[in-house]
Amino acid sequence: MSTVEVQYYALLREQAGRTHERLETRAATAAALYAELRARYAFTLGVAQLRVAIDGEFAEWDAVLRDGARVVFIPPVAGG
Amino acid sequence: MAAFEFSEQPLDSDALRRSLTDPAAGGYASFEGWVRDMNDGRAVARLEYEAYAELAAKEGERIVAEAVRRFGVGRARCVHRLGALGLGELAVWVGVASAHRGEAFAACRYIIDEVKHRVPIWKKEHYADGDSGWVNCERCAADPVHDHGHDPSVGHAMPAVARHPAGVVVPDYSRQMVLREVGAQGQARLRAARVLVIGAGGLGAPVLSYLAGAGVGTLGIIDHDLLEPSNLHRQTLYSLADCGQPKALLAAARLRALNPEVDVRAYVERADATTLAAVAAGYDVLVDCSDNFSTRFAVNDSAVRLGKSAVLASVYQFEGQLQVLQPGGACLRCAWPAAIADGTVGNCAESGVLGPVPGVLGSLQALEVLKLLLGLATPLADALLLVDLGSLETRRITLKRAAECRAGSCVRVPASATAPAELELPATALAAGAANGYTLIDVREANERSAQPPPGPSRHIPLAQLLADPRQLDAGGRYLLLCTRGQRSKAAAEALRRAGIQDAWSVRGGIEAVLVARA
Repeated sequence: MSTVEVQYYALLREQAGRTHERLETRAATAAALYAELRARYAFTLGVAQLRVAIDGEFAEWDAVLRDGARVVFIPPVAGG
Repeated sequence: MAAFEFSEQPLDSDALRRSLTDPAAGGYASFEGWVRDMNDGRAVARLEYEAYAELAAKEGERIVAEAVRRFGVGRARCVHRLGALGLGELAVWVGVASAHRGEAFAACRYIIDEVKHRVPIWKKEHYADGDSGWVNCERCAADPVHDHGHDPSVGHAMPAVARHPAGVVVPDYSRQMVLREVGAQGQARLRAARVLVIGAGGLGAPVLSYLAGAGVGTLGIIDHDLLEPSNLHRQTLYSLADCGQPKALLAAARLRALNPEVDVRAYVERADATTLAAVAAGYDVLVDCSDNFSTRFAVNDSAVRLGKSAVLASVYQFEGQLQVLQPGGACLRCAWPAAIADGTVGNCAESGVLGPVPGVLGSLQALEVLKLLLGLATPLADALLLVDLGSLETRRITLKRAAECRAGSCVRVPASATAPAELELPATALAAGAANGYTLIDVREANERSAQPPPGPSRHIPLAQLLADPRQLDAGGRYLLLCTRGQRSKAAAEALRRAGIQDAWSVRGGIEAVLVARA
């Protein structure tokens, strides 16, 4: 188990009903963590329409999560 | 018959109207300016117009020619009176004949606004009390309080305002030129700069205001939308009375009033790859203030191809994203390698937004543009800034440029602009579609559908369900897709085409356009 801090933006924030949370996970990668959270919050966006950042940098979905990682899921936003 | 003329004789509007009759014209719009009995609280008895007619007529002809080209109207003409006029007399006449009413109204409005702004005509008012004065000229210089809502008898000190000898107030950049980072040299850089702003909405309003106020020499505005009352909580350039007019023209008129030194160019066109290919090369920096992904990617790609800097922003409810592109750096496609289809996430109309949110993001864009023009460092090169105005927290995510990209190109940006596949039909096609076996599919959510029923028999498949499984529709079927404004339906049409359903079309402008077409 590792402990990660997750931050949600835009549509994900709305669907999760929170801006951030600290959670324990068995997920080894960013993609696995998102799959876990998608099951919990019924996120409508898939990974193809999202980006993930780990510790302040854009990361690939197969990036390995270490204990204490700060994970941000970023959906695109369109309005102007 | 000249497109623009002066006349010393009274104008005959019937004869002028007849001079435009044309069998190809289905509509005619006209504007008449009359001599009014009051101006600025003073009773007017009569007035006189003077012009350097030769020079002024050339500018007038340019304006009419611009209107004909820009709006695609058949015939247009403007005549302005010179000499002495009494109350109620016709001072200026504009007429436009064209196939349809929309462009006739827009061209007519454009001509009178531009003539008022650009053609050098002087007006002397003779007041009922025997006094007289040149409007906006002699009287303004002699009595600086007359026009500003103050009571002169109160006698408070008026601030010193810079005026040139003719008495006209001139722009004053001293408050920014005091900054060490600006100075006379920086101000000269701003004056020489050309900035193209794509979208004159909630983001565009602060961008345009601040850049015009700062004295950026040339500002281009691309926007094809007409102003709507629902825009006004966030689009601070406009007034309620302006609704129904093209925003690019309204913004241009407002910016010229704000700073007459700025060369403002308005393009009432869809900001697609074709428009950008024609326009963007004439500018130094592109600012994306649009409200959809296809435009945002088109702006990005245009900047990458032309090797220009760009400042991109977008908003969602209480949040925004900001990115600064510099030649050779990370671009929008580094952040989003897979192009995002419109309709994936909501825009302002669908998801809602508080007015100051685009105001803050647009202000940040203006700031980043000024930094670029002044040669100051930006912390946003190769980064995406996430701004949450709910918690007032910002987060900067660094972005590595894709390793395959080389200077001046991006592997994900097509080398040349290609027109997107035709996916849309006009709102007027709805009736013909029903008669020709097309099934109407409403891709809105259930609550939207009950609030505003579709304009005919339809199947209901919300966009998310359709995107999840486009093949639930028959590959040989004929489909018209409909949403509120035409963005989600376009995403649906794209998805169906990709899934091999070729006869699928989005209704351009959505239900709103259908209702307008039926009105």
